[in-house]
Amino acid sequence: MTLAPNSYTEIPYEEKKRLFDEMRADPRYQDHLYGCYECGICVAACPSARFYDFSPRKIAQALARQDVELIYEQLNDDIWNCSQCFSCTRCPRGNNPGGLITVMREVAVNNGLGSARDALEGYGRVVYKIMGTGTQVSPDMLQPNAFPDWGPHVKEISDHLDVWRRALPPETLHTTTTAWQVDDRTITELYFIWHATGVMEMIEEVDEGLYEILNDVMEDVLEDAGFDDL
Amino acid sequence: MSDAVLVIGGGPAGMEAARSVADLGSRVVMVEKRDRLGGTPDEAGYAALTPSFESAEEALDRMRAGVVDRPEVTLHLGSTVVEASGEAGSFSVTLQNAKGERVTEEVGAVILATGFQHFDPGRETQMYGYYEHEDVITLVDAEKMLKAHEFVRPSTGEKPRNVAFIQCVGSRDRRIGNEYCSKVCCGISSKQAIEVRRLVPDAKVYIFYIDMRMYGYWENQIYWPAQEEYNVNYIRGIVTEVVKKGDRLLMKGEDTTMGRPMEVLMDVIVLAVGMEPSLGTRSIASIFGVPQNKYGFIEVPGEPMDAVTTGVSGIYVAGAAAGPKDLEDTVSMAGAAAVKAVGLLRAKAKGAA
Repeated sequence: MTLAPNSYTEIPYEEKKRLFDEMRADPRYQDHLYGCYECGICVAACPSARFYDFSPRKIAQALARQDVELIYEQLNDDIWNCSQCFSCTRCPRGNNPGGLITVMREVAVNNGLGSARDALEGYGRVVYKIMGTGTQVSPDMLQPNAFPDWGPHVKEISDHLDVWRRALPPETLHTTTTAWQVDDRTITELYFIWHATGVMEMIEEVDEGLYEILNDVMEDVLEDAGFDDL
Repeated sequence: MSDAVLVIGGGPAGMEAARSVADLGSRVVMVEKRDRLGGTPDEAGYAALTPSFESAEEALDRMRAGVVDRPEVTLHLGSTVVEASGEAGSFSVTLQNAKGERVTEEVGAVILATGFQHFDPGRETQMYGYYEHEDVITLVDAEKMLKAHEFVRPSTGEKPRNVAFIQCVGSRDRRIGNEYCSKVCCGISSKQAIEVRRLVPDAKVYIFYIDMRMYGYWENQIYWPAQEEYNVNYIRGIVTEVVKKGDRLLMKGEDTTMGRPMEVLMDVIVLAVGMEPSLGTRSIASIFGVPQNKYGFIEVPGEPMDAVTTGVSGIYVAGAAAGPKDLEDTVSMAGAAAVKAVGLLRAKAKGAA
């Protein structure tokens, strides 16, 4: 039963229930949710709540009520507004709304929900960089046009990136296409981890194009290392 | 001058007061209008006590054993007080039984333990339809079913799918005139919600409330287990109206947590009725000329440091005759009233000697 007005009526109840059961089956779930008496401390502490129509209290409350319809609505409309800072863990009942949202996001991603695709769309380049190189922000991302808020000296620096980088004492930082030098063995292990832990399947659910590109990048490396049956 | 204490009312407050006076070595005259001791918990058939889930019957039996067959206690069952005169140290009180027979007792002090009555939901200002819909019941009705270890829809005898408790019925309501909180209903509803979930594990149980008031250990003994172990849903928001839809009940209110209006179908709706002064409390106040507060309960001018002394010297009050009380307060007051009453008798005796 739900106390929410009908939303997402095109999705059958059984499908919404299946997603909720998937959340509840997560081993973290029981530790993240006790009961909620709506004191609002999580909302008071929540930076996202100040800028978006978002309430960690409502997330905890809907889950505690086991309100399948409302939870599905939140899965689509609310969970991506959380910044995952976990300020909400100051809950006096010991709830962890941010942790519940982590679980919900994983369910959304693993099931290729539209909201997950939309939310992650802008992060394709970051995901590619992390998964392909093991590092996130690389010096060559420092383009004069990309980040105007970084100031006028960015152009000057970006003109001679390799020189600036060589001025840094650790040799591992003498790179421009990755944040630091990543050795081949690390990359191989990293690619293996992405495959073995289901991250590649997760990416395939939300961004097939990105999945193809990453697969191409990883294929040869893994084959050379003897992981050719992945 | 008399060496006896009159205890009026044979519920938990009266029984504990009588036992305490007797334990202190003084004589007790006890009056109870029903033919048996036990008071409202007995008359209304309470099943399990809050928060312990202990059998109410067993608890009352223990209390009865403290007063019956004791040489210090003279018991007048099936009797009421019809007249009283005198002052602290020497009251003259006339009792009358069902046959109209009268007897006069001389007592030095009086303990009023005349209790409360459950609010009549026919008087509520929302539209819950207690007298219209069979499946709208009160905590008292629910308790009767729970005592028989069942919980069904009264209209069909079937197990309910959705059950709602509505809190503060007859309490915290200026329009009804009962501005006070009845103190125990939150805990009792939560206790019953747990019992319903145990009896009907497939039922969803909701409690619609203004504030949940379960102070002290009731928080972790009743409230948290109800939520965390029994998945009782606490929804902040008071229902405005109950209407019949098909063979079920449509409840209208606001889900203030989510900030949305709400219309949901229920199978059983339990009204958490509060406390009002019993007819006995009202009439005994006028017989003894004891001041009442604006709600009709016995006034206790020395509160909070003196919880039992009334506005008339030599007359004390214990339990819900003085306003909404839980059982802990009730029996604590009874002990305190007994000590003050016996203390007064002894001071008077000393003064006379």
